[in-house]
Amino acid sequence: MIVIRSPDDPIAALATPAASSALAVIRVSGPGSLELLSPLVARRFDPAAARGHTIHRCVVKDGDEDVDDVLIAVYKSPKSYTGEDGAEIFCHGSLPVIQRLLSLLARSGFRAAGPGEFTQRAFLNGRMGLTQAEAVNEIVRAKTDRARGLALQRLGGAIEDRVQKARDALLDLRASLEVLIDYPDEQTDSGVDTEKLDNAERIVMELVHTYPQGRIYQEGVSVAIAGATNAGKSSLFNLLLRQDRAIVSEIHGTTRDWLEGTASIQGIPVRLFDTAGLRAATDALEIQGLKKTHEVIDSADAVLYLVDGTRGMDAADRKFLDGWQRPAPLLRVWNKSDLRGVLPAPEGFLTASAVTGTGIDDIQRALAEATLGGAPFGGAEPLVDSERQRDLLTSALASLKRLRASLSEGATPDLLAVDCAEAMDSLEEITGAVTNAEVLDRMFSRFCVGK
Amino acid sequence: MVIGAGHAGIEAALALARLGFSTILVTQNLDAIGRMSCNPAIGGIAKGNLVREIDALGGQMAKLIDASMIQFRMLNASRGPAVQAPRAQADKALYAALARRSLEAQSGLSLFQDTVVDLLLDSSARVRGVLTERGNHIRARTVVLTTGTFMEGRLFIGDWSAPGGRLGEPAAEGLGASLRRRGFTVGRLKTGTPARGLGRSLDTARMALQQPDPVMRPFSFSTERIERPVVPCWVTYTNEQTHRIIRDNIHRSPLYGGKIVGRGPRYCPSIEDKVVRFPERARHQVFVEPEGLGTDEVYLNGVSSSLPEEVQEAFLHTLRGLESLQIVRPGYAVEYDYLDPTQLGPGLMTKAVDGLFVAGQTNGTSGYEEAAAQGLVAGINAALHLQSREPLVLSRAEAYIGVMVDDLVTRGTEEPYRLFTSRAEYRLSLCHDTADIRLLRHGRMVGLQDAGAEERLERKLRSVEEIRELLRSRKVAGVDADALVALASHRGRSFEQALRDPKIAISELAAREPLLENYAGEWLSLAETAVKYAGYVRRQDDLVGRFRSLEDKRIPPGFDWDTAAGFSTEAREKLKRIRPASVGQASRIPGVRPPDIAVILVHLRRAR
Ligand SMILES: Cc1cc2nc3c(=O)[nH]c(=O)nc-3n(C[C@H](O)[C@H](O)[C@H](O)COP(=O)(O)OP(=O)(O)OC[C@H]3O[C@@H](n4cnc5c(N)ncnc54)[C@H](O)[C@@H]3O)c2cc1C
Ligand SMILES: Nc1nc2c(ncn2[C@@H]2O[C@H](COP(=O)(O)OP(=O)(O)O)[C@@H](O)[C@H]2O)c(=O)[nH]1
Ligand SMILES: [Mg+2]
Repeated sequence: MIVIRSPDDPIAALATPAASSALAVIRVSGPGSLELLSPLVARRFDPAAARGHTIHRCVVKDGDEDVDDVLIAVYKSPKSYTGEDGAEIFCHGSLPVIQRLLSLLARSGFRAAGPGEFTQRAFLNGRMGLTQAEAVNEIVRAKTDRARGLALQRLGGAIEDRVQKARDALLDLRASLEVLIDYPDEQTDSGVDTEKLDNAERIVMELVHTYPQGRIYQEGVSVAIAGATNAGKSSLFNLLLRQDRAIVSEIHGTTRDWLEGTASIQGIPVRLFDTAGLRAATDALEIQGLKKTHEVIDSADAVLYLVDGTRGMDAADRKFLDGWQRPAPLLRVWNKSDLRGVLPAPEGFLTASAVTGTGIDDIQRALAEATLGGAPFGGAEPLVDSERQRDLLTSALASLKRLRASLSEGATPDLLAVDCAEAMDSLEEITGAVTNAEVLDRMFSRFCVGK
Repeated sequence: MVIGAGHAGIEAALALARLGFSTILVTQNLDAIGRMSCNPAIGGIAKGNLVREIDALGGQMAKLIDASMIQFRMLNASRGPAVQAPRAQADKALYAALARRSLEAQSGLSLFQDTVVDLLLDSSARVRGVLTERGNHIRARTVVLTTGTFMEGRLFIGDWSAPGGRLGEPAAEGLGASLRRRGFTVGRLKTGTPARGLGRSLDTARMALQQPDPVMRPFSFSTERIERPVVPCWVTYTNEQTHRIIRDNIHRSPLYGGKIVGRGPRYCPSIEDKVVRFPERARHQVFVEPEGLGTDEVYLNGVSSSLPEEVQEAFLHTLRGLESLQIVRPGYAVEYDYLDPTQLGPGLMTKAVDGLFVAGQTNGTSGYEEAAAQGLVAGINAALHLQSREPLVLSRAEAYIGVMVDDLVTRGTEEPYRLFTSRAEYRLSLCHDTADIRLLRHGRMVGLQDAGAEERLERKLRSVEEIRELLRSRKVAGVDADALVALASHRGRSFEQALRDPKIAISELAAREPLLENYAGEWLSLAETAVKYAGYVRRQDDLVGRFRSLEDKRIPPGFDWDTAAGFSTEAREKLKRIRPASVGQASRIPGVRPPDIAVILVHLRRAR
């Protein structure tokens, strides 16, 4: 059956590219979307009560917590892009903020919009002329082709292949259930083949677990460079950014605050932070800077810790390195390897020179591997990188878990078939539509049935 | 007018006459009315549901089998209530006699023996009557065509082949050619039947006895109870020797020799097919079923064949218990004309000829129940058409009949179409014992059901509600747990909670509670299903809701598919031909994709 989303549930999606930038725009649309926003913003402003075509500044809250200071543009049906009630949320363009907002919206009842879905709605609601039908056709087509084509192009069809395999195993399982049901007198060799279920479940589970990795490629990670003053942090920062942003200086404590820049490391978008050196501070400004440094380090997805190899580790370095407890990966770098007086690097350190660039490749590779969670990286493993795919896989997994539970409770085949069909439905939304005719084809090709 | 007194024609004719239209049923041979061409049984998986749906709408089939069954089994008893289905062995001769008598007794209905060879149309392609073999012009404002396997039928056994609709009955020649000439898409399909033997030549001691259910349960919601004689069936198997004989002679089969062009059903393969396609199977099951009380003839279910007669005899004699089987009729294949059912609207009226309805095997289906269900729908819609009322179109979510008709008119079929439960997306809602709950109101609206039937249904619904109330209020006590171990872990909980446990059946609870025991078994099991399936049904209802939203978006009959902008070429062709009545139906047409559906939605919104 062709899957067509009901065209009137509230949807949300990031309208600007998923990369860090100054600003980002999140678009929401659908009947009730403004009402869903109301509880999320600070009290003074109620999106549901606001007039159309107005802009409001407010703070988005997740429970008691402030998420971001944003501007919300309110649109009222029918005078909006989609023709429905909707809004555009202008937020700060940092990836964690965007992520936070999107997940808040999802929890509040918005469905993640499929590609082209806003345009599709605009079209369905007559906000676009029929002359544009063909163009929209293309866009809407992209929606199904995404399941098919995009994954195919970008990932060499690897995800599709896997999903297809899982679905195939379920199709077999389903066919054997259907034989049991539709041919009760037949002595087919079919029962419920739990191996098929195991297979499907394993494939889906593996795919779901690649999502964090896929997401890393899509959304990037934040990396803080830490270490004593003069260890070469700013030099490394500039080198990785390939530009001179930070002031490099021999005077200890030149970088007072922290600096931020975006780099692409092994294809991963990285938000890089150069921090003030970790040392006992004296003046108020420095104390302030240090506090910030610790904040940045504590919220980073990974930390590069630099030690000046000509000086070796001091007590402060040891304290930091030994005291590291966060799950985020910590990479140790023995810098200034180009200098003659460099001491031998202790175990676990990467040696590098932020001036000549030797060892930088190793740092980049190690960083990529560490943020990807040590999984084989850069290889042929397919990565699930869209939330839509992830959601569909997760719901398939939930159906499979239910199927397993139903099996162990001794549920009858008619019920097992419901769980099985549900799981297949979710997987088919990734790979494309299927019909019950296919189930029958499978029945007749695999089992000798019929009197 | 109805053409053909098979299972489809019987229902169509009765419905039309009962709805007050003066009706004539023209058929080739009055003595062949309601004949069962193949196996002597009514019902089965999904088919049993059809029979009960026919009854809920006001059809005849359930009443006929209730009065002629000689064995009853509830199939799938262990595979879940949603897929349970009644099946009964019929006394073939009695069934046909009852069918004939019910037609003869129907006021407003006349029977006439003749063979139709052409349609009479007026200048605006409306049907006006038919022309028969003997040159009779019979006028009618609507015609229901139910020709079964007879239209240009041809029989095959080995090298032998001759025109015929069933062995011993002539084909209906001429009509197929006329329909082709008039521009209809007519195709060829094929089906087959096994040999029949004499009961006293069986060695029943060498076969396993198949136990019937102890109680015969009625198909019709109006039948109270059935007390009829029960006869047993036996089970035996083919073996390596059987298969060898078949393989050695496979080139003599008209199927494998290329004589038959029509496509046969995959679900009901001939024994030749089974042996060739599944060489790894060492044996195939064969059921030996009596054909009736007035005859000693037995039907050999599972060994349909069109091999030469001596080969059939040779391989049948290799089966345990059939060593000295005396064959009274050989197995054979029949090839016949059918009309591509995508030429029909959802009410089973042809799109090209106003007033012409088609039902049964002529639409590419096979099976008595499938035929009867379509016959009833076509008869009802012919009547509604004469009354200038909207046709009755059942939804896929409310009836197997809806699934079947929608499949036929939307997707067509290239092999004989048989209903399976797996064709239905929402089969949890299509249990056989809810057919009246689902469909009686349609029967009532159409005019085939009376107030008495409605009262019966109300009593049933009330009782189920009472049972559910009892289940909620009654608690599992210590004595219950002592009597039934499975209840121990549910002590203190309600009966309803205990019933959610797959290990506990309502019959066990009813045995513990006299108030429950008073209710009819069918009502108890309805309540049981409601409790046990609640979670699954809720999940399925979500899907049904999504399905309905598209189904409810109707496409006006006059929609101009040619000039409407935005469709892909392939989709436009398909849409033009099928002329879907709803967006949901459009989405099920092979070759129509989501963007095309989006375009339809826009056009509909524009039109409003
Ligand atoms: C050899 C054989 C094998 C079969 N095997 C199977 C099987 O394996 N499984 C299964 O489910 N079903 C099987 N059937 C099919 C089953 O018999 C039919 O599906 C069912 O009977 C169809 O009902 P019907 O009303 O459409 O047609 P039929 O029961 O065939 O009745 C058609 C009636 O119309 C009359 N008629 C036809 N044309 C004209 C005309 N032009 N003018 C006047 N009268 C006409 C005929 O004489 C006949 O009485 C088989 C049938 C045959 C013959
Ligand atoms: N020779 C050499 N000098 C380096 C290297 N890295 C940094 N320096 C020098 O060390 C000093 C401090 O560098 P800076 O990047 O400002 O250190 P920060 O305080 O950690 O940010 C500067 O003079 C740099 O030129 C290196 O790898 N090799
Ligand atoms: Mg610095």
